[in-house]
Amino acid sequence: MTVRESIENKDIALIDILDVILDKGVAIKGDLIISIAGVDLVYLDLRVLISSVETLVQHKQGTRKTVTSDQFDKEREGLIHATGQRDKWAN
Amino acid sequence: MSDLLYLYGLIPTKEANEKSLPSMKGFDGEGELYTIEIGDVTAIVCDLQPNEYSEETIKDKVDNDMDWLQEKAFHHHETVLMVSKMYTIIPLKFCTLYKNEDSLKSTIEGSRNKLETTFTQLDGNEEWNVKIYCDDKLLKKQVSESNPSIEAKRKEISELPKGRQFFEKKKIDQLIDRELENEKNRLCEEVHEKLKEHSLHGNIKKNWSKDVTGRQEHMAWNSVFLLPLSNVDEFVDEIKQYEEELGHAGWKIEASGPWPPYHFSSFS
Repeated sequence: MTVRESIENKDIALIDILDVILDKGVAIKGDLIISIAGVDLVYLDLRVLISSVETLVQHKQGTRKTVTSDQFDKEREGLIHATGQRDKWAN
Repeated sequence: MSDLLYLYGLIPTKEANEKSLPSMKGFDGEGELYTIEIGDVTAIVCDLQPNEYSEETIKDKVDNDMDWLQEKAFHHHETVLMVSKMYTIIPLKFCTLYKNEDSLKSTIEGSRNKLETTFTQLDGNEEWNVKIYCDDKLLKKQVSESNPSIEAKRKEISELPKGRQFFEKKKIDQLIDRELENEKNRLCEEVHEKLKEHSLHGNIKKNWSKDVTGRQEHMAWNSVFLLPLSNVDEFVDEIKQYEEELGHAGWKIEASGPWPPYHFSSFS
């Protein structure tokens, strides 16, 4: 495999995809205005991080299923417990 | 009410006529992708139910339904990527929707010349992303040990009374931090300039915080390049070389690609 091919075959994280496909300086505007300004990638909510890490792990295991909301809830509880910041991560 | 059109990208009609679009599932997982010829430009679209996909519904899902966002973002990316491997494509952003075909057509008509120019600029070229990470702790150690003026300062400090030493050490820490930032910028700019030599364009993007990357290392550089296909091998080889040279010093240089040319398809 060439260097190029080995890079091409690597899994892409959700964060890399969102960084590129979300609305920032579009050339062609659609009719619907979906302002996704809230998803400022520099300070993203930890939920996206969790899902992107999960996706990377599952993809490598060949089972890319979407993260369930049960798993999210469990992870949120863990975060609340760890950080003591109930409001920030509350379900 | 007619169906909404989800626009994935635009390709030259000439290319669309040479190769037909393979069968691909649409955004809602039910319909299929199809093409709409608009003069020299062909749009790659799928139909969506207007009552299911309003501005509010989509925004609500993007902000609150991570599962949905993940699934649909991957769908958009993989669909556009597959098309980009077959045609010269101007990729559209996530959820670019039109109320009907007429609206899409008039938008394309309005930008016809710019689209033609962009196709010409993109033909035969690929977009690649390069991120540089550094282990600040390791690099800081190296900077403070290899810098002669810092070494000299340290020697000076060790001969001072204990009280003075505390404050002087703080000043040295600040000096080391500044030197660390300088060294990081110096190296990233050097790598960027070298890589740019293989490219038509090289843009610098925002770095992401550790919260976003989830990594121990800091993202020191984030960049995107438009490369002629014929230069890609030497570009990735150069990156591999840098990785080998700089890995032990706590640097990680990571390329990803080829990407559909999202960063080089805009025009004002």
